[in-house]
Amino acid sequence: MELRAIIGLEIHVEMNTKSKMFSDAPVSFGQLPNTQVSAFDMSFPGTMPTVNKQAVINAIRVSNALNMTIDNVLMFDRKNYFYSDLPKGYQITQYFRPIGRNGCLTFNSGDENITINIERLHLEEDTCKQFHVDDFSYLDFNRAGIPVIEIVTKPEFKSGQEVRKFVELIRSIVVFLDVSHGKMEEGNIRVDLNVSLEDDNKRWSKVEIKNLNSLSNIEKAINYEVNRQKDLVIKGKTIGRETRRYDETNDRTVMLRIKTDSVDYRYFTDPNIPPIKLSDEFIKNAIDTSPELAHVKQKKYKTLGLSDYDANLITNSKETCAYFEKGLETGCSPKTLANWINIQVQKVLKLKCISINEFSISAKELGELILLVEEHKINNSQAKSVFNEAVETGNSVIDVINKNKTNHILDENEILDLIKEIINSNQNLVNDYKNGKEKVVGYIVGLVMSKTQRKADPSLTNKLTVVELRRR
Amino acid sequence: MRYMDKNLREIHNAIISNSVTPLELVKEAIELAKNDDNNAFEYICEKEALEKVRKLDPSKKNNLLYGIPVVIKDNISTKDIPTTASSDLLKDYVPVFDSEVVTRLENEGAIIIGKTTMDELAMGGTGTSGHLGTTYNPWDKTKTRIIGGSSSGSAAAISAGVVPIAIGSDTGDSIRKPASYASLVGFKPTWGRISRFGLFPFAPSFDHVGYFTRNVYDSAYLLNILAGRDDKDSSSSFEPIEDYTKHLEDKLEGTRIAVINGVIDNVSDKEILNSFNKSIEYLRQNGAIVDYVDIDLILLEAIQPTYFIISSSESTSNNANLDGIKFGSRIEGKTLEEVMVNTRTNGFSRRIKDRFIIGSYSMLEENRNELFIRAQKCRRLIVNAFNNVFEKYDAIYCPAAPTIAPKINLKEDTVFNKVNISEHYMAFANMGGFPSITLPLGFENSMPFGGNLSSKPFQESKLFNIANYIEKGTGLSDKVAKRD
Repeated sequence: MELRAIIGLEIHVEMNTKSKMFSDAPVSFGQLPNTQVSAFDMSFPGTMPTVNKQAVINAIRVSNALNMTIDNVLMFDRKNYFYSDLPKGYQITQYFRPIGRNGCLTFNSGDENITINIERLHLEEDTCKQFHVDDFSYLDFNRAGIPVIEIVTKPEFKSGQEVRKFVELIRSIVVFLDVSHGKMEEGNIRVDLNVSLEDDNKRWSKVEIKNLNSLSNIEKAINYEVNRQKDLVIKGKTIGRETRRYDETNDRTVMLRIKTDSVDYRYFTDPNIPPIKLSDEFIKNAIDTSPELAHVKQKKYKTLGLSDYDANLITNSKETCAYFEKGLETGCSPKTLANWINIQVQKVLKLKCISINEFSISAKELGELILLVEEHKINNSQAKSVFNEAVETGNSVIDVINKNKTNHILDENEILDLIKEIINSNQNLVNDYKNGKEKVVGYIVGLVMSKTQRKADPSLTNKLTVVELRRR
Repeated sequence: MRYMDKNLREIHNAIISNSVTPLELVKEAIELAKNDDNNAFEYICEKEALEKVRKLDPSKKNNLLYGIPVVIKDNISTKDIPTTASSDLLKDYVPVFDSEVVTRLENEGAIIIGKTTMDELAMGGTGTSGHLGTTYNPWDKTKTRIIGGSSSGSAAAISAGVVPIAIGSDTGDSIRKPASYASLVGFKPTWGRISRFGLFPFAPSFDHVGYFTRNVYDSAYLLNILAGRDDKDSSSSFEPIEDYTKHLEDKLEGTRIAVINGVIDNVSDKEILNSFNKSIEYLRQNGAIVDYVDIDLILLEAIQPTYFIISSSESTSNNANLDGIKFGSRIEGKTLEEVMVNTRTNGFSRRIKDRFIIGSYSMLEENRNELFIRAQKCRRLIVNAFNNVFEKYDAIYCPAAPTIAPKINLKEDTVFNKVNISEHYMAFANMGGFPSITLPLGFENSMPFGGNLSSKPFQESKLFNIANYIEKGTGLSDKVAKRD
């Protein structure tokens, strides 16, 4: 009988709000330990939680993107357990009434469209970061209290690839909605998953894999785990209820602990946060002012004339979208701009291992460079050399153009004058052309190009030559 | 000339007329605090107070609280001043921030001269369980009677005439019970009326910041200063504040007051009943309608166990931060977990651990429905029953306690007390968030006892109005226990 894998996810998304979920301490990553901390984050007695409005708006926006029902009352509960990384001895979360419920997300995996149901989305606060060096334990409270969204799916995934595609999409959603930096390698998105097997008659025990922090590890961990479990079943062994982690170096999952009866968290509603009514207007406003998601931008870009391919490439990253949209403000052709970004710009980024935000040529500069070509002020090959020189020297596009006098390009009249001069000095050209010698055009264009040190636009010159020859 | 046993207006007038300076007042209070023999103080802020009084802004001279020495219960956060909640675990804890009440008092020019003893972490009603031992009742020269708690030191300090006002907290009756035992006006407002920011939480859904004064006017005036929205406490109310002294003298005609049969039936002390009845007569003479009404005895009996289950449950969670990792008296161990276990095992007294165990037990999955959820349903029913009374009546009035201050009994097991309605009913006001005030009714063998008035939420003005009449009737205001 066929053994099928069933996988469910819990995805934790750390937000990039200005301040923490319940305190006014700043959320900023990569700072010295214990410098981004308020009295509340250290749980000094008498401190009280105040709800971060932007975090609520973010949760509404993500819930909406996941097609969830949004609760119109905001309530928070305490999850009680003792652990040294949990300053208050409880975590404030939403247990009884998650802000989002019953959603779903459709995405493409392989050649199929797959829809996964999402059980809940709730707001909570992060714990502090704990690490051990030699005999010492260290606690960094900078992370304590950072707003977190937890997304819990139904156990409906069938493969590692599906999960990977889904997490990719969630990542794109939270990044495009400005909810999170979405850097998995920095722990902005952490995935826990439950993997189990079933056939037509039976379902085996669930195994939990915790703290996966890269897309490829998610897929690899699932593939390994599914095979491990299948192997156990085939050999007639039992699958233990346990928690495992992924060992990247050896590409395998390793047991962390056996699951005993589930921990009793003694949940109760936090008496220090009275229920907050979320008006229809507030919810609607949060959604209406929501930044565009990748697929919305894709659609928009296609109406501007971009190919599916180009639109997809650009919407792969929010920064690229921003760059593209900024460039468009110059009025250059969207299609040409997309081309430049997807080929020339990406080549440089790859070579220099930098992000588009660190790219030395601004979107405005690139748009204006393209515009110069479109207005025949320079030609394409000149534009490329200007671009390359600007990248290499770090100088601005304008500086490069001025320095090389590239912009001293012939306008239509100047080119026409040259063409007339050439034709006038050699009347045979007209006759040859009228006798069907098309090559004459190329010859004239070539002469113009060499006389101008290639500062004339070839296609424009071509056009003007034909017109002039016919006129004669 | 002594000022600390006078009321706010008398002291204020003395300042205005330059008969006394704030510095002299503070020195007097500190001298009295140093000579305190009731174990009322955790910490006397001599240096801090003298510094602050020298920095007082003279432009605030017209504030009634300008230069007035106050004491603060030691579960209320005071910046750079130790705040221990009378627990060994916090004996060296110095907060980095002021509570909202402290900020407001200091903005008015009040000077904190001391932090007062209490039952450990406010869990208790006797004033015998703090880490410094028993706090005594200044009215009892033999030092054999409790002052009550948990706001024990605040009650002792003000009734001994060390200061004219004292801040406390009230989760079950922690201000209003000691007030009865010490001839004080003890007040807690509507839940959400005074910010709890900086109050160490015991059971937040019951917790209130409140205070002691020696007369009703001072009590009403103090609410003008302390009431109002504070963004740092999400549960604090947006309800507009009033001038709570404005209606003190309003006529009582048409005012309806209910006495609860189940409470009064449970009081057998003849002196207390006598004085209580006299005060009712006085209210009636002044136009109030006083009726005796029933509340289901089962519900009245349920107040104490319900209070106990919910407060213990909430307390386990609120005190889970006391683990020695971030602050407090850490006891080392090989791992962080060991540090937490050692610190909590050694830092808390047995009584506190009992409460935590009961609280955790009540919230466990297998007991939750039978205990925690049931207690919450019970709370709802109790509050509904009192709300029904408040539909027809402006206030509920009963003796604050069935006896004068009891003898100190250190073996007393307050955890498993027998249910005694008149002893524990005042927690109804914490369950419903009703404003509630205790005020002196009389004396028996030189020991005071009081009555308690409660009203609908945000009806503090009416409450002070009725209280003012009761005070007129008894003539008992500004009472200070005499020294030997």
